[in-house]
Amino acid sequence: MNLEVVKLAAADNQWGAIFPELMLACIALALLALEIVLPKKLHAYIPDFALSGLVGTLAGLLFNFRSAALGHDTFNGLLHHSEAGQVMRAFFLLVAILVCVLARVSLAKQKMPRIEFYHLVLIVTGAMMLLAQSNHFVMLFVALETVTIGFYILVSYFRTSTASLEAGLKYLVMGALSSGLLLFGIVLLYGVAGNPDLPAHTASAMNFKALAQFLAANPHHFLASAGIVLVLAGVAFKIGAFPFQIWVPDVYQGAPTPVTAFLAVGSKAAGFAVLLILARDVFAAYAWLVTPVLIAMAAATIIFGNLAALTQHNVKRLIGLSGVSHAGFLLLGVVAAATVPMAQGAIYFYLFAYLIASFAVFGVMTHVAGANDSDQDLDHYAGLAKESPFLAAVLAIGLGSLAGIPPLAGFMGKLFIFISAFQGGARWLLALAAAGVVISIYYYFGWIKAAFFEQWMPPADTADPRPARTPVSFVSGLTLGSLALASVLLGFYQGPLGQWLTMK
Amino acid sequence: MAQILFYAFALFTLACAVGVVVNKNAVNAAMCLLLSLVGVAGLFVQLDAYLLAFLLLLVYAGAVVALFLFIVMLLDMKDTAAHGFRKISGFASVFALGLLVTGVSTFVVRGRLTTPNPNLAAAVGTDLKHYAYQLFTTYLLPVQVIGFLLLIAMLGVIVLSKRWEGLDDIK
Repeated sequence: MNLEVVKLAAADNQWGAIFPELMLACIALALLALEIVLPKKLHAYIPDFALSGLVGTLAGLLFNFRSAALGHDTFNGLLHHSEAGQVMRAFFLLVAILVCVLARVSLAKQKMPRIEFYHLVLIVTGAMMLLAQSNHFVMLFVALETVTIGFYILVSYFRTSTASLEAGLKYLVMGALSSGLLLFGIVLLYGVAGNPDLPAHTASAMNFKALAQFLAANPHHFLASAGIVLVLAGVAFKIGAFPFQIWVPDVYQGAPTPVTAFLAVGSKAAGFAVLLILARDVFAAYAWLVTPVLIAMAAATIIFGNLAALTQHNVKRLIGLSGVSHAGFLLLGVVAAATVPMAQGAIYFYLFAYLIASFAVFGVMTHVAGANDSDQDLDHYAGLAKESPFLAAVLAIGLGSLAGIPPLAGFMGKLFIFISAFQGGARWLLALAAAGVVISIYYYFGWIKAAFFEQWMPPADTADPRPARTPVSFVSGLTLGSLALASVLLGFYQGPLGQWLTMK
Repeated sequence: MAQILFYAFALFTLACAVGVVVNKNAVNAAMCLLLSLVGVAGLFVQLDAYLLAFLLLLVYAGAVVALFLFIVMLLDMKDTAAHGFRKISGFASVFALGLLVTGVSTFVVRGRLTTPNPNLAAAVGTDLKHYAYQLFTTYLLPVQVIGFLLLIAMLGVIVLSKRWEGLDDIK
């Protein structure tokens, strides 16, 4: 191979373009080094170090939002830097910050090593950020595997609890299956697009742009469509869309609460970022196939998620299954995104509203939960409004936003998605989604009812079996308060996010 | 000749793969897996993918299966009572067989699987030098990410399996 070509390829590796990811990697490594170097009594400050590092990285990213790499490919076409990618980067950093805040509350109740948790969260976040900007199947798969392997460990992190280990095992098996499906699909696409007998065949079939050109030249190739369906199935596992939602309730229940939040928001958003890139740009020529598949998936996901959540009594299972229905609403947006330009912004707005509301709810959950993290019952919330009005108010705002009650942010999110779906012409799906919203109000309000209107009747013979509630510290109180405030404010004023949304 | 060799290796691979599934003894199943991987390596050699064949033997057949055997022997599995045959599993397997046959036949009928053009461009991974150049220039970023993947995998093993002592002091 010519050495000049090698030099050229190496010169395209612009490490400056991925400085937030590099920062996260360095901080993660520094955490491990600090654990070795620092004396034990200073270890309590290491999580704060991780948290401040994340906040600093987020500030740096927002400050350099319009970076020079925007709109360009770097790393020989492995990454594509776009505005959407920048938004998702900020999204994942925000998720990581909130996960770290929740983890401080949740890990304090367990006898577990602490530092490694933050290390894993940082690495997984970095990989998600790369995932949302990937422009090449090699990069996509490597980043996705890093995320998934990080989650295998995080889900089973409370290893003294059998529920956590069981969840880890289930996630491992289902994750391996979904990675297998994704790989089968990628290999089929790679093989077909490299066939020299076909028009527009390409040697770099893993590259999204080259692949999109090939698919546009061969719009009805059977093997390519088989590959596309398999790739979509692999991604659908990550977002928990029907019929690939089978792992959701058990894994969400068994995983430590901060990890459940990370899975519900971070992992799902990563899946949607990938799905949006694939369905909108790469597989655009196969809309005849992709759109019906996504429509069927969206309809089934909305119906299943809402009906299954109705009967749940464990709040972690409830929020997991309601998360499935949220995936259905987002899929509705992805369907619309093929034709309606506004839909992309609507999906990002929905994701942000979902992030804010979910973390408000999960934050309350970590405070109400006891040492047994998987046992969080609706009954534990009885009388919350009397004993801790602040937590109950945050819970009510968070759940209200998830249910889509006006004027909260979740309502605006659903509204934008529904408007774009309406413009996209998916009318009957819209009717189905509206029915789903009505059902969801029932179970969300069951939870609010437990917190506000139910009295806790202690059993006569034994002591109170409910876990003791954690008092709200300053940092978590501030975080929860600002999340609730943001849920209300975003409902009235969408700010630059809304401008970006309507501008598109 | 090539045709006969292909069918021989393919049959060998499939037979061994079936052996992995039906064998009750875990050690025998692992050995079948090893043989199946050797068969796949043979197929790779026929495709002129020598590097891939070599890596498959070295990493999977050599290291991974040996690790499996270690763990199987360490756990000393007793023959657990097999689940009795249930009607539902019979229906499920017939249904799955139907799906499988449909899938494979669809690929054969509609996939337009033809003998590939003999003047195919050589794929990237065929010779080691080319492969190494690519790995450390074009694909440098994924290689770095894989480094972190391995790091967290190692960390995960430690966190999930180490006997922690003195955790009370960490508060």
